[in-house]
Amino acid sequence: MRKHPDEYLSGNLTAMIDVVFQLIIFFVATVSLQDTVSDQRIRLAMAPSGKPVTTKDPREVYIDVDKSGQLRIARYPYSHREVAFILKKIVQDNGNNQVPVIIRGDENARHDAVKNVMDACAAAGIWKIKFAALKERGG
Amino acid sequence: MARKRKKNEMQAGELNLTAMIDVAFQLLNFFVITSHPMAVTTNMDVFRPSEDKTANPAKPPTVLRIMVLNGGFTLNDQPATLSMLHSKLDFITKGDKTQSVLIMCASDSKHGALVEVLDLCNRLGLKTLSVISSS
Repeated sequence: MRKHPDEYLSGNLTAMIDVVFQLIIFFVATVSLQDTVSDQRIRLAMAPSGKPVTTKDPREVYIDVDKSGQLRIARYPYSHREVAFILKKIVQDNGNNQVPVIIRGDENARHDAVKNVMDACAAAGIWKIKFAALKERGG
Repeated sequence: MARKRKKNEMQAGELNLTAMIDVAFQLLNFFVITSHPMAVTTNMDVFRPSEDKTANPAKPPTVLRIMVLNGGFTLNDQPATLSMLHSKLDFITKGDKTQSVLIMCASDSKHGALVEVLDLCNRLGLKTLSVISSS
């Protein structure tokens, strides 16, 4: 007996929808982790005596300095003038200069480049800054 | 009349993997959401002092001055290695952990060397650390 055309299309979609939802949940859950993953081009210096970072301030501004001296915020390259402008704007928006600025400098970066970031912080009125380092080297 | 076997009916010995994949994904999601990565980073606080216009240059302040050079360090203008710096700082600051430390970095020095000094100061319990750049 010949099959009705609808019978060919009557696959069970429930399992597929289940898996698709699972994948959506997985990607939604992991996409926010992408922001916190540090730039792999930067090799942080070791500081075994430092306290581990357990709390995070949502206002934290990470400024990466790679070994060639290039400054990056959220992986996007900026000149030190642009960084100064961004920090001034952040201080204006916050209404105070207590914005936590964390400099993630490559261990082989020249101090010149780090100085540019510190000068940008000073221009924005930020006097308290932090240097990121590694407590232990992974893998 | 013999009953015809439906095409989509499972054969003996076949396993429906859909439920297992579902559970595997559920478990994967659960562990991704609930696990927290081990804290391997540390942040070292420093102050970036502003220029003091009223300071008297003839009378230098009584603070510990560490100079970070390209390939070495000095402590109060005396050349030192990192281990010497450790023992000297430990001796000078014994009992007084409130001592201010001024870390001056040469422009051609490596950032890693500055972090080494900051880590050393952290180890010794020194809290008042200022970083300035020297040309």
